[in-house]
Amino acid sequence: MSASTITGARTASAGRAPASPRRRTRWSPGLLFLAPSLLILGVFVLWPIAQSFYYSLFDWTIGANSQKWLGLGNYVALTQDPHFWNALGVTMVYTVITVVLLVVLGFLVALALQGEGLITRIVRSALFFPTIVSLVSIGLVWKFLLDPQIGLVGGLFDLIGAKPIAFLTDPSLALPSLIFVGVWKSVGFAMIIFVGGLKAVPAERYEAARLDGTSRAQSVWFITLPSIRPTLLFATLILTIQSLQLFDLVYVMTGGGPLFATDSLVNLLYRSGFVDYKTGYAAAISWVLFAIVMIISGIQLRLFRYDDVD
Amino acid sequence: MSTETLRQRRTRPARRADGATINRILVRIFIGVGVVLALVPFIWMVSGSFRSEADLFGNPASLFPGSITLHGYESVWQQLPFLRLLLNSFVFAGVTTLLTLLFDSLSAYALARLRFRGRTLCFILVLITLMVPFQVTLIPVFIELFHLGWLNTYQGLIVPRATSAFGIFLLRQAFISIPTELDEAARIDGASHLRIYWSVILPLAKPALATVAVLNFMNLWNDLLWPLVVTSDPNMLTLPAGLTLFGGAHVTDHAVLLAGAVISLLPIAVAFFLAQKYFVAGVSTSGLK
Amino acid sequence: MKKRIAAAAAGAVVLALGLAACSGTSSSGTGGKVELSVWTGFTGGDRPGYAQIVKNFNASHPDIHVTMTVQPWDTIGQKLPSAWLTGQGPDIAAPSPDPNAIAQYVKTNSVLPITLTGDGDSKINVDKLAPGTVKEFTYGGKLYAIPANFASLSLYYNKKMFVAAGIDGPPTTVAEFADDAKKLTIDGGTTQSGLVLADNQTIQMWPILQWLEGGDIVDSNNCSAVQTAASQKGLKIWGDLVAKDGISPVGLTGAQADSLFSAGKAAMEINGPWAAPGYKSAGIDLGIAAVPTGVDGAVTLGAIAPLAISAKTKHPQEAQEFLAYWTSKSVQKTFSTTTGFPPLRTDLADDATLKADPVVSVFAAQVPDARLYLPKVPNATQVDSDAYTTMIGQITRGTDVATATATAQAAINKLTGCTTK
Repeated sequence: MSASTITGARTASAGRAPASPRRRTRWSPGLLFLAPSLLILGVFVLWPIAQSFYYSLFDWTIGANSQKWLGLGNYVALTQDPHFWNALGVTMVYTVITVVLLVVLGFLVALALQGEGLITRIVRSALFFPTIVSLVSIGLVWKFLLDPQIGLVGGLFDLIGAKPIAFLTDPSLALPSLIFVGVWKSVGFAMIIFVGGLKAVPAERYEAARLDGTSRAQSVWFITLPSIRPTLLFATLILTIQSLQLFDLVYVMTGGGPLFATDSLVNLLYRSGFVDYKTGYAAAISWVLFAIVMIISGIQLRLFRYDDVD
Repeated sequence: MSTETLRQRRTRPARRADGATINRILVRIFIGVGVVLALVPFIWMVSGSFRSEADLFGNPASLFPGSITLHGYESVWQQLPFLRLLLNSFVFAGVTTLLTLLFDSLSAYALARLRFRGRTLCFILVLITLMVPFQVTLIPVFIELFHLGWLNTYQGLIVPRATSAFGIFLLRQAFISIPTELDEAARIDGASHLRIYWSVILPLAKPALATVAVLNFMNLWNDLLWPLVVTSDPNMLTLPAGLTLFGGAHVTDHAVLLAGAVISLLPIAVAFFLAQKYFVAGVSTSGLK
Repeated sequence: MKKRIAAAAAGAVVLALGLAACSGTSSSGTGGKVELSVWTGFTGGDRPGYAQIVKNFNASHPDIHVTMTVQPWDTIGQKLPSAWLTGQGPDIAAPSPDPNAIAQYVKTNSVLPITLTGDGDSKINVDKLAPGTVKEFTYGGKLYAIPANFASLSLYYNKKMFVAAGIDGPPTTVAEFADDAKKLTIDGGTTQSGLVLADNQTIQMWPILQWLEGGDIVDSNNCSAVQTAASQKGLKIWGDLVAKDGISPVGLTGAQADSLFSAGKAAMEINGPWAAPGYKSAGIDLGIAAVPTGVDGAVTLGAIAPLAISAKTKHPQEAQEFLAYWTSKSVQKTFSTTTGFPPLRTDLADDATLKADPVVSVFAAQVPDARLYLPKVPNATQVDSDAYTTMIGQITRGTDVATATATAQAAINKLTGCTTK
């Protein structure tokens, strides 16, 4: 699919601008332009990933002299580890709910705030503000806000005479609380992406529809959504990748508890690698996570029929 | 049939007007609640950094301090080489962002404008790196940096972060949306690719570059684990990394922790207000195709 | 716009170069002194005590300069294994508050066996250190760490609340302890907690309650002991006190429990000496007493943080001298008086000054009865996180004790490799 587009593009460009005689080879300028980035990504991301896969084949602790070859033993052990299945469940629930809420809310807010008036812009800035703050600070502030003893939320419950709720220490409320904070943090980001997508929709399309007497809701459904398909994909993809890597909020707010209710995959990876020092096992978890992210991204690319790389 | 349509046409605008007013009010309420929800935690955070423990526990429902104490800020100031950390953060986030802009835009130019063998493969490799959680590569990268002798150095902090897959992706989309006629005209005039990149594409992609710069700076500024791993020398720590030194299993001084959060937020908040139009209009004008 | 960016770029680069130059000169400009770096995670109220040791050492050793970096234990746990592996780490470190952590570093040959032992102030007087601590750090006949401190846990209580509840003094037996905890709880814990109990990210408090009731976590074969009748009985009593009587909020971290006590929202807490300065400065009318006696006599929890030397240090001699100084008699005496920690050394047990100190004396008196949590148990960190903490979390949230202990028993035995049952 992509190959054909590229060949098509190549012939088209060749047709319009004949190959310049000064170009020595066909491919060298491209790779030269890419070289710095590829070198950095290669040395500091891709090669380490390969190494991490190598580690995952051993029963190994960082620094230990002996390492026992396990083959896929670590992966087999994963399938029998209830903590792994729990973490997978936590991560999936968090990702699905967070991404759906973010895309829906982000889109609705963007619809309401796509203008360029002063107040609209101020409101957009306000909603975007949480995005610029580090997850660590945000986790800390919400941890305190939700604390039944000192938190504003608990205090408000107290004011109306209700018993403060222990959001973060109740196993059934901890994950929903994290989802709330995750959505709160990123809804402004989603909004900004959608505002961009909405602005790119040509006004004539709406004009034509209005003349036909289409209602507002209908025009959103039949014109806006199809027009911003690439934006929708971009937002969904980025937010999904981010959500699957859930860690900072967990680390700061709950430490994975209570009773593993918020133990995400990256948190499990962190515990295995840096608390229990099972480097090989942690590497196996990281590869499973990596595979999951790739598969889900692939499915999304397919679903949105994002079939031209250009 | 025609009368029906006519009637519909005539009645609909009236109905729509009523509905629209209600709708507009609902939307405003919805947005208003959103703004309050977005900002109250920050007001609470700033106010909390000035509150004593007793005040915090005594009036949890209050958004404002009963009395003001500077104890949180004093502790931070006394226990950290504060200016040094601030400087480190600026150097780390600033230099890295500049390098990222350069490298990412070069790559994006290649991916958007040049045809060469392996281009799709390169793009896929870049996208793959977008999907890698940092924890996956933590240990191998650390060992690499050791072999390079880059631990506790600025180059160790900066170089591995000097390109971002997200930036390449975003810039590539932006470059694609720039009409090719412009650079073709330049090419006919005999301009090299480097020249087209520098004097045609980059000026036209300023908003997208600003977006990438701002998002990158923000991420780097807020990054915690990376500076913690690469540096152990207290003189090399960044601000957020330095502020973690106030954490600990049996330490809770809410005012100190909140003061730390406020301090690390402050520079980025100032940057936000200065560069607001890029934050808030940024991704929008970058021409996501 | 472009000009501004370019100017900013130039500025930043100059700044970076300047800084690089600065840091280059500062590290080489110390002229012949041996530089030793130390990492510890002592962020609590005892922090100034360690800083004082380092400062005095530097003053009395003109040829050696020690720099101590304090960072949270989590951070150290994250960085130290790879740092020591690559030789980039500090010369000396307290790797964890958990003494078992040393086993990991011994396995990876990351720590130096300590050889500068013997009598006199220039050597580490191993004979004079509390025997339990030395045993904990000896593997294959070699000593790999010294205790950086030895903390016993005591009962902190809020005198004002005791008076208000009409209770004369701190509880002395476990039965009184349970009674008082209930009496001191107001409105089911929403207004005031009787005894705050943390169960995660904390120094362990629950094992003490179990020991007080005659129960245990593992036996001498490292097999689970949580399912024994005595263990179940103790867990039932205290689990009900939390789940039904609300003597403590459920699922607290150590930091949360501490702040409840220091904010005057809790009447009692079991905690180590590091907490005292904070509670005093918070204005609590503070009482510190020994943990009440249990059904089998006095018992409390002891915690040792190890201090070890990197196997790759360039200055093994000087590093060991520093440890000798740290554990020497006069230094330990000063340390105890400033921090309230019991002294590490047996020859300070009867020291008159320390005995007269109201804080140190309470903690020191309990040292002989202090038990370590999961000492040298295989996979101890996982036994703690996966089995024990989970079990306490379940019981305090109302899970039936028999069910919770059965699950924990299976998990513990699997992790420790106990096969006798």
